[in-house]
Amino acid sequence: MAQRKTNGSKLFMMVLYMVAACSAIPISDLLDRASQRSDTLHSLSTTLTQDLDSHFPPMGRVITPRPSMCHTSSLHTPIDKEQALQVSEADLLSLVRSLLQAWRDPLVILSTSANTLPHPAQNSISTKVQELLEHTKSLGDGLDILSGKFGPAAQSISSLPYRGGNDISQDRISRLTNFHFLMSCFRRDSHKIDSFLKVLRCRAAKLQPEMC
Amino acid sequence: MKKVVEVFLLFLLLVFTPHAKGTGNSPPGKPTLNRCRSPEKETFTCWWEPGSDGGLPTTFALYYRKETSETVYECPDYHTAGKNSCFFNKNDTSIWVNYNITVVATNALGSTFSDPVDIDVVYIVKPNPPERVTVIVLEDKSWPFLRVSWEPPHKADTRSGWITLVYQIRVKLEQEKDWETHHAGQQKMFNVFSLRSGGTYLVQVRCKPDHGFWSEWSSTSYVKVPDYFHREKSVWILIMVFSAFIFLILTWLLHMNSHSLKHCILPPVPGPKIKGFDNQLLKNGKSEELFSALVVSDFPPTTSYNYEDLLVEYLEVNVPEEQELMLEENKDLHDGCLKSECSTSDSDSGRGSCDSHTLLMDKCGEAKEEERQTDQERMGTEAEDMVSPDMSSGRVKTWPSVFSPLPQYSSNTLDEQSSLEMAKQHYLSDSQFLPSSTSSYLTQPGHGTKEALGPSYWEFCLSNKQPHLLHPQTQARQQLQAHSDVDISSIGRKQAPAGLQSPLLRPTEYVEVQRVNEEDMVHLQPVVSGCGQNNCSPQMPQGEDYSKVKGVDSDNVLLLQRNMMEEDRLKENCYTSSTVTTTQKPTAMPVQDEMVLGMNGYVDTATMCILPTY
Repeated sequence: MAQRKTNGSKLFMMVLYMVAACSAIPISDLLDRASQRSDTLHSLSTTLTQDLDSHFPPMGRVITPRPSMCHTSSLHTPIDKEQALQVSEADLLSLVRSLLQAWRDPLVILSTSANTLPHPAQNSISTKVQELLEHTKSLGDGLDILSGKFGPAAQSISSLPYRGGNDISQDRISRLTNFHFLMSCFRRDSHKIDSFLKVLRCRAAKLQPEMC
Repeated sequence: MKKVVEVFLLFLLLVFTPHAKGTGNSPPGKPTLNRCRSPEKETFTCWWEPGSDGGLPTTFALYYRKETSETVYECPDYHTAGKNSCFFNKNDTSIWVNYNITVVATNALGSTFSDPVDIDVVYIVKPNPPERVTVIVLEDKSWPFLRVSWEPPHKADTRSGWITLVYQIRVKLEQEKDWETHHAGQQKMFNVFSLRSGGTYLVQVRCKPDHGFWSEWSSTSYVKVPDYFHREKSVWILIMVFSAFIFLILTWLLHMNSHSLKHCILPPVPGPKIKGFDNQLLKNGKSEELFSALVVSDFPPTTSYNYEDLLVEYLEVNVPEEQELMLEENKDLHDGCLKSECSTSDSDSGRGSCDSHTLLMDKCGEAKEEERQTDQERMGTEAEDMVSPDMSSGRVKTWPSVFSPLPQYSSNTLDEQSSLEMAKQHYLSDSQFLPSSTSSYLTQPGHGTKEALGPSYWEFCLSNKQPHLLHPQTQARQQLQAHSDVDISSIGRKQAPAGLQSPLLRPTEYVEVQRVNEEDMVHLQPVVSGCGQNNCSPQMPQGEDYSKVKGVDSDNVLLLQRNMMEEDRLKENCYTSSTVTTTQKPTAMPVQDEMVLGMNGYVDTATMCILPTY
């Protein structure tokens, strides 16, 4: 599946290049494919979070940091529908790209720490994290190309550096807790990405109302 | 001190409060937030489950706190969503923000906090069911199908893409139990095929956001599929009827031409054409009989076969009528099939004929050889064609009465004596009519006394022309008259015309041939028995001593054999053969002896002439 996703991402990039060159493929289709990929991304993260929750130590709940402590929380994103619908496409795309960019490094860290995660479902978690990484990268690359269509505003990416360090904590509880926290942050951000892209898709498909 | 008082008061309060209130009152139980739902990702509602009320009116309060601030807010709307619910309107709803919600139950005695729940609105989306579900029946080339169409719930904003809904349809017949579910995706219309005509279908639709919960099923839509006749069925029925018809015709034709078809398809297997092959035997499974039938009897030719098989058991003797009569009288005595017919006969018929060119000897020889079947020595003798009569008692039919004493032609006969004795006995029995007088021959056949047996009677056909009957005559030779008509019967019946007296018949009497007159008659004279071979009394006329018949040569000449003497040839009728010496014809000797011994009362042909007696 990862290979398929890689191939899919390559194909997506090729398509985007073609779009850039020939603009034969309508944006709506491209956005449709992007939204599909973000959908998959979010589904994966949801599954991963549920797997983690199955064996979450009760103590961890107490010391779980708040979601506002996600490294991407500084990014100002719409908090309701009215706000979201008022954001321009370029801004939306910029937000999406910023989020995707912000998660490249943490996902790498998560991937490495997932190998030694003290969790019964460690194997599946590790696999899924790997997939997440690939998806995020492919989507980010595709959107980087697509953003050229949306004007200069789409090109700007907010930098959201991850300051959690190269490795999450050493002790078992901390590791699990941190892992869970990171995953929850990613889950929300992936949902944002997916929602924004789907709004963009609907906006781009004015002539095809069945898409929305 | 104060504390003690407070504790005491508190204790009293705790003790008395229940008593004061009567029934057991307690603070309310812990409520539980069981669910929070957002139908469109813009508002959401939370419902809680109250605990025990503790017997007192309990009030509930919901407090929430957003993750971004520490401010605790209370639920803005307790009523819109019903009892024990809290409705968050759009203004109060923030997405991608964690809410920390707690419900507090309060009664007079206290309040109880529920466990806090963290929720994010985007994760609790459960839309309303699709609306305006319509189902119609359409036809696709005479095949009916359902077209279901619906509308998304009105609250869900799918137009802007804020919510992306996917739909599901389920269909079932009215009387069935299981639903048939179809996933419709994002489309708002769906076609259901493979329906059964004449049934009522139930259709329901539901939807789900891309990352949320399934909505409830929409209200059931009923649709009746009308009855329709399959046009295809009619065609099939027609085809089946037609094929059945053709099948019947074919069967009938087959039945009519079954025979010719059988010959055509299964040609008859040609049977074996082996000569002598019997299929029945083969079916019976008896291989021995089968193969024996195939064996040709005369192939391969066997080198040795019984000549005696060729012998004719019964000889027909052709005698003149007179003789015939005599023979017929003798029929009672012996069960011989004696045919006394004086007619020409050939050697094959076995009938002796007086006119036959063949001498009596022939017949005698044949008859004798029958007797000697087992004896192979005689096969190669000169007298090969001269068969001797069969001496067995049962066989010699013709001979016994007549020719039994005439057996010995061939040289060596081992059983001649016995045969002769038998013959003799037979003759004795047969010829019991031989009294002393010739007249009483036939009247009393059953004497069986030997005394009666005197001279042997025999018919001796010497030639074709003139059968001669030789009578053993004790009397003089004049008694011996060879007549052509003489037969035994005549012998029997006739009075001894010419003084024919039956001589005193002695057991062994021999007649010797005295001479042969011109008329080709053989004159015999009795020979006194008891004479030794070489010590014949002077009674014996000097003459040629012929003891036996050696054989008949090609001229139908009877060859007599002289005893120990030269054999002379009898002219025409009776010829004696040349001398027979032991050396020359060693076989002659024993025969002779035996002949001599065997002779009791009769003379064999060999001794027709003169028989040396003992």
